[in-house]
Amino acid sequence: MMQQQGGSADLAQLQSTMQAIEFACSSIQMHMNPAAAEATILSLNQSPQPYKACQFILENSQVANARFQAAAAIRDAAIREWGFLTTEDKKSLISFCLYYVMQHASSPEGYVQAKVSSVAAQLIKRGWLDFTAVEKETFFYQVNQAILGIHGVDVQFSGINFLESLVSEFSPSTSSAMGLPREFHEQCRMSLELDYLKTFYCWARDTAVGVTKSITESHSEVPEVKVCTAALRLMLQILNWDFLYKTAGTKTGIDVFSPGIRADSSLSKRSECTLVQPGPAWHDVLISSGHVGWLLGLYAALRGKFSCGGYWLDCPIAVSARKLIVQFCSLTGTIFLSDNGQMQEHHLLQLLSGIIPWIDPPVAVSQAIECGKSESEMLDGCRALLSMATVTTPFVFDQLLKSVRPFGTLTLLSTLMCEVIKVLMKNNTDEETWSWEARDILLDTWTTLLMPMDGTGGNALLPPEGINAAANLFSLIAASELRVASASAMNDEDESDYLQASISAMDERLSSYALIARAAVDVATPLLTRLFSELVARIHQGRGIIDPTPTLEELYSLLLITGHVLADEGEGETPLIPNTIQTHFVDILEADKHPVVVLSISIIKFAEQSLDPEVRASVFSPRLMEAVIWFLARWSRTYLMPEEFRDRNFNSGHDHEYQFRQLHSRKALLSFFGEHNQGKLVLDTIVRISVTTLLSYPGEKDLQALTCYQLLHTLVRRKNICVHLVTLDSWRELANAFANDKVLFLLNTANQRSLAQTLVLGASGIRNSEASNQYVRDLMGHTTNYLVELSNKSDLKSVAQQPDVILSVSCLLERLRGAASASEPRTQRSLYEMGFSVMNPLLVLLEAYKHESAVVYLLLKFVVDWVDGQISYLEAQETAAVIDFCMRLLQLYSSYNIGKISLSLSSSLLSEAKTEKYKDLRALLQLLSNLCSKDLVDFSSDSIEAQGTNISEVVYFGLLIVTPLISLELLKYPKLCHDYFSLLSHMLEVYPETVARLNSEAFAHVLGTLDFGLHHQDTEVVNMCLRALKALASFHYKETHAGKIGLGSHTKGIKDQQGNLQEGILSRFLRLLLQLLLFEDYSPDLVSPAADALFPLILCEQDLYQKLANELIERQLNPTLRSRLASALQSLTSSNQLSSTLDRMNYQRFRKNVNNFLINVRSFLRTM
Amino acid sequence: MSDEEHHFESKADAGASKTYPQQAGTIRKNGYIVIKNRPCKVVEVSTSKTGKHGHAKCHFVGIDIFNGKKLEDIVPSSHNCDVPHVTRTDYQLIDISEDGFVSLLTENGNTKDDLRLPTDENLLTQIKDGFAEGKDLVVTVMSSMGEEQICALKDIGPK
Repeated sequence: MMQQQGGSADLAQLQSTMQAIEFACSSIQMHMNPAAAEATILSLNQSPQPYKACQFILENSQVANARFQAAAAIRDAAIREWGFLTTEDKKSLISFCLYYVMQHASSPEGYVQAKVSSVAAQLIKRGWLDFTAVEKETFFYQVNQAILGIHGVDVQFSGINFLESLVSEFSPSTSSAMGLPREFHEQCRMSLELDYLKTFYCWARDTAVGVTKSITESHSEVPEVKVCTAALRLMLQILNWDFLYKTAGTKTGIDVFSPGIRADSSLSKRSECTLVQPGPAWHDVLISSGHVGWLLGLYAALRGKFSCGGYWLDCPIAVSARKLIVQFCSLTGTIFLSDNGQMQEHHLLQLLSGIIPWIDPPVAVSQAIECGKSESEMLDGCRALLSMATVTTPFVFDQLLKSVRPFGTLTLLSTLMCEVIKVLMKNNTDEETWSWEARDILLDTWTTLLMPMDGTGGNALLPPEGINAAANLFSLIAASELRVASASAMNDEDESDYLQASISAMDERLSSYALIARAAVDVATPLLTRLFSELVARIHQGRGIIDPTPTLEELYSLLLITGHVLADEGEGETPLIPNTIQTHFVDILEADKHPVVVLSISIIKFAEQSLDPEVRASVFSPRLMEAVIWFLARWSRTYLMPEEFRDRNFNSGHDHEYQFRQLHSRKALLSFFGEHNQGKLVLDTIVRISVTTLLSYPGEKDLQALTCYQLLHTLVRRKNICVHLVTLDSWRELANAFANDKVLFLLNTANQRSLAQTLVLGASGIRNSEASNQYVRDLMGHTTNYLVELSNKSDLKSVAQQPDVILSVSCLLERLRGAASASEPRTQRSLYEMGFSVMNPLLVLLEAYKHESAVVYLLLKFVVDWVDGQISYLEAQETAAVIDFCMRLLQLYSSYNIGKISLSLSSSLLSEAKTEKYKDLRALLQLLSNLCSKDLVDFSSDSIEAQGTNISEVVYFGLLIVTPLISLELLKYPKLCHDYFSLLSHMLEVYPETVARLNSEAFAHVLGTLDFGLHHQDTEVVNMCLRALKALASFHYKETHAGKIGLGSHTKGIKDQQGNLQEGILSRFLRLLLQLLLFEDYSPDLVSPAADALFPLILCEQDLYQKLANELIERQLNPTLRSRLASALQSLTSSNQLSSTLDRMNYQRFRKNVNNFLINVRSFLRTM
Repeated sequence: MSDEEHHFESKADAGASKTYPQQAGTIRKNGYIVIKNRPCKVVEVSTSKTGKHGHAKCHFVGIDIFNGKKLEDIVPSSHNCDVPHVTRTDYQLIDISEDGFVSLLTENGNTKDDLRLPTDENLLTQIKDGFAEGKDLVVTVMSSMGEEQICALKDIGPK
């Protein structure tokens, strides 16, 4: 392919290259001077047109690794140089690879073959859109010949393997990067899916079918098994393809960026299982050709051979066949005709009949596994059930088995899972055994079946037999969970990290249990009530006699289960009573006999006993109390004073009587804990229990955190509850204890913050505004008074450093912060006064605690939250006062910290100090952002300009104070970095004129960080910097065009102290950005924002740009590349009718130009 | 909440040797604690239970604020721990003497000459270099439980 010059000299050259690479490969393997060896290999990859050398190595080298590296070098070089290879070169490279793979099909070094195969696949993809159909046909003809088996089994195997690499290269999730935009990959994927995928599938199928006979008829393993396995794997891979272009009629006009509308979105329930939806075009291949029958037959024949040599349950061909069978179970969508699902049912039934022997009868299967049989077939059986559950309704699912067995699929599912749970109970170990895995898959199956499918929350109804199956299963689950709990009660695990992970895993499991319980809710609810009262009775009988721990643990577990069954997790919403519970108890007309009411009351009554100190000491351990609080929180969110019942769902159906009774029972359940019934009483009980956990469980942080964050927060979230809350004596008691009780000062400070927030939020229940403000003043008055008094003490300096004073101050600051974050329009006045009254004390305290970083941080955080809550409501005068305060705070903070160096022997204390600094600065930046928001959201009656306040000036001034504290070292903290640059880019975009007025030193500092940010590895940060740059340059360009000075002297070059000329900032950034775009690594997402920044920069600095462009061209020695580069640069600034105005249109044109430019020249610029 | 009256602070170690009792549950990361009779900064707190249904206990990892050694302690979270009184005072650095002492200017104009320089080579050079460059340095002296040490430097710039 290259010009031949002097054959023998060439040969010597090739030989020496080969030896060098071989030597490098073997020294890497022996760990001798690996850096030099890597450099040798890299130089091959990066040298221009290394193809000949690579081909020589591939054909002649005896060192497999050298051949591998040569293949890799072909790939890298060809992708890089693709733009200027001739079509002939490209085709010959691909043919070489394909030919090589077929030629060496029987080579023992499979990894070299796989590599060459994947290189061929990548090159074919790279040229996919340029090759004509005929050219592609030529490649595939070669492959097809191989697959047909004309050249023997090994070549056949290689052919299939090549198709596997090709398909995975075209699938977006597994494709390799080629430095091309995403559209390219999408177009390739569409073309392959529409034109080739089915053909490949047929080739694979025909191959597998072709060798089936020789496999089934021989008694030992034959070479064809390898081919068959590969073909099965390829079929599986193709069925795993994410089919987007299903309807053959609408090939054109598909937006490559939208994932396509799934016609069957109702079927894609929440499940791990991926659906296979290839569309109607595949009907003939997959459905009507008896394909499934062949596959099941093949596996059945293999099953018969498991006792023979060469075959066993986990041999590759059996595994592949099973995987493919499972994959067929998730086949769905328009591939089946619209015949009411009959065809799909038939398909599934066929599969199910094939799978049944894997899992039925469950007892025998599980016994065989316990005796040492491999579990993989049984697990695949479970997976198949999961897939079927994903594509059917519970009813259809249940019916499937009925035609071959006297019971439905649900019954089988239930028996199977019961069997698994029994095994789990028997070998209660922590190890992940097969029964764990089977349990999880089967549980997923139940979840998939029972999860409400549509937004209305209506569950799919189970047939009566299915309900029984669910009921049986749930009672076994409950028994097993309690057994596990009681057995684990004495385990004293200290692994707190591990515990957290297991709790969240348990939560998911419990939600699935809850779905099963709700499917049989008339049985499950009374069962839970019975279990609960048995446990409570047992604990009371045994008090003081036997160790209650196992029973406590069972109660703990039962409370968790019950909580999940009765109510959903709200995730911030107010969850409704689960639909099954609302609609199921039709015959219950008296509310207090409603099973859910009975269960709820029995738990609340039990919880109430914790108020008695004696019972509390003997029964209510902190852990049990945690479950009680958790339960009460979850339960109250759903059942306590629910929104008034409106009968919207009452549509006159055929069965009036039934609907009427159902309605009545729902009403009874909903109103029982309502405002006009038991609601207020229960609310009072809950508040009293909360007070108890806060006061009577000293040091139990977790319990108190649950009480503060979950339970109390839940109560104040709904206004109709707050209305009653503020009238309760127990609530007043809580508020009073908060203000005065020493014990509450011993709570964890974060819990005190939360409590303050909760109590202030409670004010929304007070009807009149003056009264709610007074309520807040009463609540927080002590706090502000204490801080004011403390700051006025003459001996503050010495008193302040006492540990007890530090503790009090920290608590009070956290309380202030909690209250500030509960800011609502109605209580805004009193919260403003609260903050206003401590402004000066805070400045005094900042001085007193300048060395106590923990206190400083709390102080800053309070100010941040307070300003955040207040700023948009403040009138001009108040705004001025707050801004003045913030600026003084910033200045003081800066004067105490700038230039300060911590000294310590301990490196961890030094790094703590750095972390503390980072947190402080982050808070300061947040404060500035909060001040910024006044310009965006302002509810005040007059403009703040009236008081001469200009937010942009203020924030710039603030930024000036803060930036010197921010070192490049600190910008390594991702969050700080993010905050800093988002503030900076916001400022530059919104107020560029203010930045123009900065003095040169400050300006240089700001731009220095911008420079740093442009090279950051976080794309988001670079993006923000580019936006900032765009803003600066376009501001300057527009201003100077209008005859103003724009950035003025900042753009001029200056001489620094050493007399070196420093160029102006715009020139500097133009140079920097070009360097970045052309020569450095960056995410493709950054090309557009970079283009947006480059455009105005070029317009501002046209002369420099011309100079840089000329330099680039002159550096290029190769004449072809030189002219390419020149014309690319030419069209960068001239094509697409680009003009020199900064409007949207031009920005878009320039983006396009930059994209084309980079595709054209980046590859060769970077390597030579 | 008690604001104890503080009458008189005699110069060097009154108050400095004091420790205060504080409930273990209220001690947070970045606070101070006495472990094995040494003042420590808390760098890690975790809680666990004594048995599943027992009471919470706190596990503290502290670093001795003077010698940087790591110390650990476990205390039931409702019990009291000792918290050291740590004070920090700023002085202007006047001189570094050859015998390893510094001379500091106190707020009321006297000098304090009894503080040894740290022996650690690294810390020593940081102080000496700054001083040698002729910067105006303020040093922060941390004292607790009868010991004192320079813990920070600050350049307040030329006058």
